[in-house]
Amino acid sequence: MDHSTRITRRALCGGMAAAGLLAGLMPGLPMSRALAQSYPQRNFRVIIPTGQGGGAERLARAFDDAWSDLLKRQFEYTFHPGAAGQIGYELFVKQREADGYNLLFGNMGPEMIMYAVQKPDYRFPEDFIYFSRTDIDDSCIFVRNDSPYKDLKSVVEAAKKRPVNVAVSRIPHPASIGMLALGEATGSTYNLIPYGGGNPTYVAVMNGEADIGALPITGVLSLSSQFKVLGVFNRENIFAGITDNAPTVNGAFGTSIPDLYSSRAWAVHSSWADANPEDFALLERTSQEAHASAEFQDAFVKTGAPVESLKYGDRQVCTEYALAMLDLAKRYEPVLSAQR
Amino acid sequence: MGWDSALLLSLAVDAVMLTWIVVPAVLLGILVGAIPGFSAQNTLIILLPLTLAMDINMALAFMVSLYCATHLGGGIPAILVNMPGTGGAAATTLDGYQMTLKGKAQQALVLCFVASTIGGLVTSIATVALLPFLAQVGMYLRSVEMVAVMVFGLVLIAAIAADDPLKGIIAGFFGLMIGAIGTDHIYGTPRAAFGFLELYDGVPLVPALIGLFAISEAFSMMERSTIVPRSAVVDTRAHWADTLEGLRLSLKYWWLTIWTSFVGLLIGVVPGAGASIASFVAYQQARMFSKTPDEFGKGFAPGVVAPEAANNGVTSGTLVPLMAIGVPGGSTAAVMMVVLQYHGIVLGPRLFIESPEIAYGIFFSMTLSYIVMLFTILPLARYMSQVVLIPTRILVPMILSLTIVGAFANREYVFDMSLALVFGVIGYIARKTHYHVTAILIGIILGPLFEQYLLRSLRIGQGDLTILFSSTIGNVLWAFVVLSVLLPWLRSRQQERRRRVERETPTALTGDQPR
Repeated sequence: MDHSTRITRRALCGGMAAAGLLAGLMPGLPMSRALAQSYPQRNFRVIIPTGQGGGAERLARAFDDAWSDLLKRQFEYTFHPGAAGQIGYELFVKQREADGYNLLFGNMGPEMIMYAVQKPDYRFPEDFIYFSRTDIDDSCIFVRNDSPYKDLKSVVEAAKKRPVNVAVSRIPHPASIGMLALGEATGSTYNLIPYGGGNPTYVAVMNGEADIGALPITGVLSLSSQFKVLGVFNRENIFAGITDNAPTVNGAFGTSIPDLYSSRAWAVHSSWADANPEDFALLERTSQEAHASAEFQDAFVKTGAPVESLKYGDRQVCTEYALAMLDLAKRYEPVLSAQR
Repeated sequence: MGWDSALLLSLAVDAVMLTWIVVPAVLLGILVGAIPGFSAQNTLIILLPLTLAMDINMALAFMVSLYCATHLGGGIPAILVNMPGTGGAAATTLDGYQMTLKGKAQQALVLCFVASTIGGLVTSIATVALLPFLAQVGMYLRSVEMVAVMVFGLVLIAAIAADDPLKGIIAGFFGLMIGAIGTDHIYGTPRAAFGFLELYDGVPLVPALIGLFAISEAFSMMERSTIVPRSAVVDTRAHWADTLEGLRLSLKYWWLTIWTSFVGLLIGVVPGAGASIASFVAYQQARMFSKTPDEFGKGFAPGVVAPEAANNGVTSGTLVPLMAIGVPGGSTAAVMMVVLQYHGIVLGPRLFIESPEIAYGIFFSMTLSYIVMLFTILPLARYMSQVVLIPTRILVPMILSLTIVGAFANREYVFDMSLALVFGVIGYIARKTHYHVTAILIGIILGPLFEQYLLRSLRIGQGDLTILFSSTIGNVLWAFVVLSVLLPWLRSRQQERRRRVERETPTALTGDQPR
């Protein structure tokens, strides 16, 4: 006689129905909590709305060295640099499932300016939120080492006589706003030339196609053998020691241009964060721990960028910064967009 | 760098010691290059966890070998089935496939392999010797000069459509219009994207390439039982003699191989330019300096040699700005940069002082990979050429399934698969109505780049058109553009005149009119 337990089709169907009924009737039972605690169960997919090999990728990979250890999961990246980052965001909001496994690692400054100027049909912070800032990257004005412009004043003097060509990554960018604000405040004129990314912008300054460049400072410092920083758009130059005491723009001209910096941050779908507070809290906590880890800092230093730029910010800090960027972009919207 | 013979010897020994990783990388690269849609860049991204875990020298040897091999691999389907594996091989189809149709597939493959490997080999060695000079080349080719370089490529539209200039111009403009889709280069505002998010970044090259060449060709293949006519199939049976014939032709055009590979090297050095542009410009230049420009496009050996040598010359060129100034010259170089930085390698001029074994070692690995490629791939030409014997009822489903996957693989958008099919239909109609698909493709590839450099130049000149003629190098390039238009025309007029004179002059001995 066969005493082995055999699962019949009827028993299997009945069991599944009962389990479904139980789960449906009692969603608050500890079982659902146990499932939630098992997050994350698979690898993360990250959209980077800028090009490959750029600052965002380097920073994200350095960061995930530490973060993946804490989450026990890996990060897989795709790059969608088109339309000043708009493609990456639209893809993230509209086509990626809001399941906590799809993240975005963006540069809040330029991408919120793009959001203000292009008016895409996704909403911040209703559709996505930034929850973990990794760095503060001050916008700066730089020249190649053998440039005739030795300081900020010589640039402004020249720009009062004729428009000075400025290589920028994008027109909708904090550094571009900085140049426009400087022109407005000092009566000088700057002709912004967008090169579509940091790397080609460096080349344009190196080969003399543009007179000066305006970009976030950390990339410029990683090429310090080629460039000299003339000034920064912030209330303090935290890299004074390695920029030959370059002044702040406001300090040099007595202007009151707001702090203009780029800030990379991790983002997630708002609906998922609201519906899964415990899982979201886990992401927040572990990202903060990863940021503080020596592993991340070591990996970041290897990219040649200065560690002083690493500054953690939580969801609230990120949201405040992003909204402030929106306001700033609205102020300069006519010159940042093609719609005059 | 002072030429330290001990360092050179140690670099050469190190490179040879890495042969074991170069061989699989080369084979994988050839395979990846031969499948339209798969590229060195997306393969290296997939393999990034592997390369990050490797020793840096090993990782570089692997990446560089794979990268170089994809450039060679792209020419194989371009010759055999009229579908370029990569954008850089699009120009190869013009004469490569015509050679196949004439039953000379094996010779065309040998020409492709020898031109690719010798071109790559020579330029990788030259790069080691001329690195400081080459690093400066990128500094002299700025937006204004690049406008002229782009015009070189665009002029090719007129050349390849010489039989019917009106259709050529229509096809070229159609390509340029498609190339204008996407965000504008100044403000980043989407235009003509018809609400498709996937078109915001412009029409992607891979689905366009796959559709215009691979899918439309597959549709055409359905109308016949084999790729080449039955009479030619008999001639195409593999013989070593055909390989030797290909080698003889390669030797005959050795100088063309060398100088067009340097065209590729110089274009590769400019960040943002790439193999597609280099191969079209090299093809156009080869045609310009040819004594028989009318032979191009009809299965002429130099039409295979020039683009293949150039697109392999690009490989070492794109690494120059990465190593010398720390700025990647192309998307594959950007992936390599991530790996180098992960290992804490600081790129730029200091690299040559602090880590010469890395800075120069990468070019030694490249040299080795080309040597490996030459000896592994050349004997295979004989067998590869047999692809044309496969019945189209088997070949067409294989091509369609592989290329549709390839269209998806590049950006992972389902939309791109549909786009490839749309371009397939466009390409098929173009073939049937005798519009040149290559002219459309040139417009799609060069249009956005031309616009980008032109708008940038005009912005630098603050709207003044004379900026385009403001640089000496630029003006020399413009003079070459004019020459490249006039020279083939003058030469063909001269030949026509000579033929007429010969027809009209009685022969000296008999007084008969020549026939």
